[in-house]
Amino acid sequence: MYSNRVLQVESITKVYGKGDNKTEALRGISFDVLKGEFLGIMGASGSGKTTLLNCIATMVKPSSGRILLKGNDTSSFKGTQLADYRGKEIGYLFQEFELLDNLTARENVILPLSLHGVTGKQAERELRELAKRLDITNVLEKFPSQMSGGQKQRIAAARALIAKPSIVLADEPTGALDSKNSRILMDKLSAINKEQQKTIVMVTHDANAASYCSRILFIQDGRLFHELRRSFERETTESFYERIVTVVAQLGGGSANVL
Amino acid sequence: MFFKQVRRNAAKNRKNNGLFFSSLVIAIVAFYTLLSLDTQDVMRFLKTVESDAVGKLILLIPFVYMISLFFVFFLVYFAYRYQLDNRKKEFGLYLMLGMKKSTFFAMLMGETVWNSMVSILLGLPIALLLTEGVSLTAAKLVGLGIIGHKISFSISAVLGTIIGFIAVQMIAMLFLSTIFSCKDPAELLRSNSPEKQVSTSTKKGWLCFVFGLIFLILAYVAGVTMLRSLDFIVVALILAFGGSGTFLLYRGMGVFIGHRIQRKSSTRSGLSTFTGRQIQENVLHQHRTLAVSSLLLLMSLACISYGIGTTSGLGSMDVRTVDFSIDGNEQEVHSVLNSEASRSMISVYYPMFLSSMVTNLYDRTGVLLESKLNAHSFSWSGLSAALEKLPETDLRNNMIENFSDNSGPYLISETSYSNLLEAIGRESIQLEKDQVALYTSMKDNSDFINILDSALKSGTYVEVDGRKYELLPGAYYDNIVADRMIRLYSALIVSDDDYQNWVSDTSKPLCWNVLLKQDVIIEKGLMQAIQLMEKNLEGTGLKYESYISGIGRNLFYTVAASYLTIYLGVLFMVIANTVIGLKYLMQQKESKHRYLTLLMLGANINDLCRSAGAQIRLFFALVLGAAVCSAFFAIWSMFTSFLKLPVGTSPIKVIVISGISTILFVVIEFIYIHIAEHASSHEIRALLVTDRGNCL
Repeated sequence: MYSNRVLQVESITKVYGKGDNKTEALRGISFDVLKGEFLGIMGASGSGKTTLLNCIATMVKPSSGRILLKGNDTSSFKGTQLADYRGKEIGYLFQEFELLDNLTARENVILPLSLHGVTGKQAERELRELAKRLDITNVLEKFPSQMSGGQKQRIAAARALIAKPSIVLADEPTGALDSKNSRILMDKLSAINKEQQKTIVMVTHDANAASYCSRILFIQDGRLFHELRRSFERETTESFYERIVTVVAQLGGGSANVL
Repeated sequence: MFFKQVRRNAAKNRKNNGLFFSSLVIAIVAFYTLLSLDTQDVMRFLKTVESDAVGKLILLIPFVYMISLFFVFFLVYFAYRYQLDNRKKEFGLYLMLGMKKSTFFAMLMGETVWNSMVSILLGLPIALLLTEGVSLTAAKLVGLGIIGHKISFSISAVLGTIIGFIAVQMIAMLFLSTIFSCKDPAELLRSNSPEKQVSTSTKKGWLCFVFGLIFLILAYVAGVTMLRSLDFIVVALILAFGGSGTFLLYRGMGVFIGHRIQRKSSTRSGLSTFTGRQIQENVLHQHRTLAVSSLLLLMSLACISYGIGTTSGLGSMDVRTVDFSIDGNEQEVHSVLNSEASRSMISVYYPMFLSSMVTNLYDRTGVLLESKLNAHSFSWSGLSAALEKLPETDLRNNMIENFSDNSGPYLISETSYSNLLEAIGRESIQLEKDQVALYTSMKDNSDFINILDSALKSGTYVEVDGRKYELLPGAYYDNIVADRMIRLYSALIVSDDDYQNWVSDTSKPLCWNVLLKQDVIIEKGLMQAIQLMEKNLEGTGLKYESYISGIGRNLFYTVAASYLTIYLGVLFMVIANTVIGLKYLMQQKESKHRYLTLLMLGANINDLCRSAGAQIRLFFALVLGAAVCSAFFAIWSMFTSFLKLPVGTSPIKVIVISGISTILFVVIEFIYIHIAEHASSHEIRALLVTDRGNCL
């Protein structure tokens, strides 16, 4: 079981400011993510969920605690090791896509590979495969300004997946999409998660998107507040969605009302 | 509080925009240099001998100053817009926090005035030092002996510089702050995003690129082959083809770069595709700026080359043959020149016999117009025949036409010319029986001299009264009088006997030439020595011309032309380079989020800095490439048309001056590129992608 752990988050805290101006964004969060898991992180605004994702992505350094990816402490990474971690071990999916708008879709997708010296036929093979899976083959030669929001996010997903990272971190990936495009994206991500056993950690507000996850962590005021697990054999997406909505509603009413 | 804020903001602006700030300091130096021109040593000297021409130049200076202010205005406007764009959010916040628009306006104007004062305080001392340096160098170039150096400080130039500089800044800021204070806070608070990549029609892009190249080639060919006619239509055509060619080339270049990237993107690793796309985007959106900067650099290179070309010609004036040419009867001249005061200063004096041969007058067709007593017959036919054997050029044909005139040529007596040569320490001329030598003062025209020398080397002759006189195989062109305005297209140096026989009045020389003692000149400087000698001649009733007044005119035109062109050249270079640098930095600032994304995708911060460095170098290279290529043809055209180096201009001197200027140009470009790279890498490293401290 333990050898199956991709990510270990151990007593993470994050404090901004000093003295009286101190703000505790994370107050000691611990959890593990297993290989092939689709983990959702939910919480109200300011609960600390994006800070947690940014700590895992090495965008923010935790004040204390450890984050281990495949057993390696990410806080010890520097320079090339850090760049390699970002480029090879994690794939990041942003809410606003963050595609480089002066690069074509093809160039955007293969960017993580070319950054690490993978070019030519190998890059082309990976690209073709992902493009087919994410249904973006016909937009590969276009610039982002010529694409729809849904296409842009699928291009961003392809970019996050192309380097075959150990874990994909998604920050509100459906935040800038309409419901139809949100569903298409989540269907694709869910299929990749199931078929390729790709580990995904997703921060979201959207209960619909969260219902695709196999497990959801709820965060409140920088602490783990609740956890929901879905049994795929026994529970439909609809009933899981109902449970999520209930917890979200209770989150708004305070911990005294929960379960 | 308000003033403290203004000062703090102004200091921040200077720190963040070092490139622009240094250009402002250079502009101040250039302004002062131009405005203080009349206090420069060379001009001070020229005023004493050529006050009219100098007066005209002084009248021209305000006009040139206005042109400079006009160009600097655009630089200032452009740079301030960049600065204000960067501070949009801050302004939005001020307004949201309840700052009145008038206070906001006053704050921006206050910052401008404060920064102008700092630039002036820095720039003016540099300008004073530099003008002293330029003044000394110019004095050295034309011979320090001529001009005694005097420290100059021009209050009017200082005031002119301050008023012009502040006015330009205030007007630019007035425009901009009006625009900015009219904007809603929401608009100001919104962050800038770079313009979207547009996929320009490939066909249109290629057409622009190809036509741009064709137009440029046409302009180059027309420049090199047709500019010498100096026809207005040709000049207009060259400018039209060159200008539109440059614009079209940059218009189409984006598509060309895109095509190359697309072809190679799958095989390129690292950030090379990103680097290429950034450049492509810059070219697609900024093709007009690139074209204007490239044309400015071309103008700069052409102006500087012209300035250097004319300055190089100065060297040929170094050979001083005569200090005074005096007109008067022999006794008077002897008595004045043998006086106690004069004798101690004079090295040698001698009569210069120059007159024309007595011949009948004929028209061009050879019909006799006037018959004269004791007339001789004369013919250049031998020389014309030799010229006809040379390869045909417009100049050669023109010379054959001129030498077909068989009216009496000017004659110089052998002894006079030998005296002149001996006075300057050269070997005297030795004419054998039936030998003559050709003289011309057209030494400024090197093509003319080359053709003439080739003809003379082939062994040629002139005919007088049907008898052939052999021409020596080389022409002579030393100045035979102090006044340089006297030009002789051709004359013959003949033996004294022939001179006696062929001219009508042999008793009176043209003038008496005087050369001052070298030690007097070394001791007092040429200018003072000549002025002392002039005192001896004043009041004697003798008419005279001095070397100084003679070279005054030549020197004036040379100095004025080279000074103004080099000045404008430097100014154009500063403006073009600042615009290129700022344009790049503006784009980088607007695409900041791309760098953040790249960091997230695993790009190394050093790789990003390297990519930005490569972008800057390529960006500069794109502008410089076209400018240098066009400048090469422009300079070639210039030197084959209206700019000729005088004979005797040392090729080593030209090579050394051009070499130093090229090195200086390269160094200046490197400095600009380095400043831009430094600013860019500073900005990239400051990206707040993480709080991991020094881990990045």
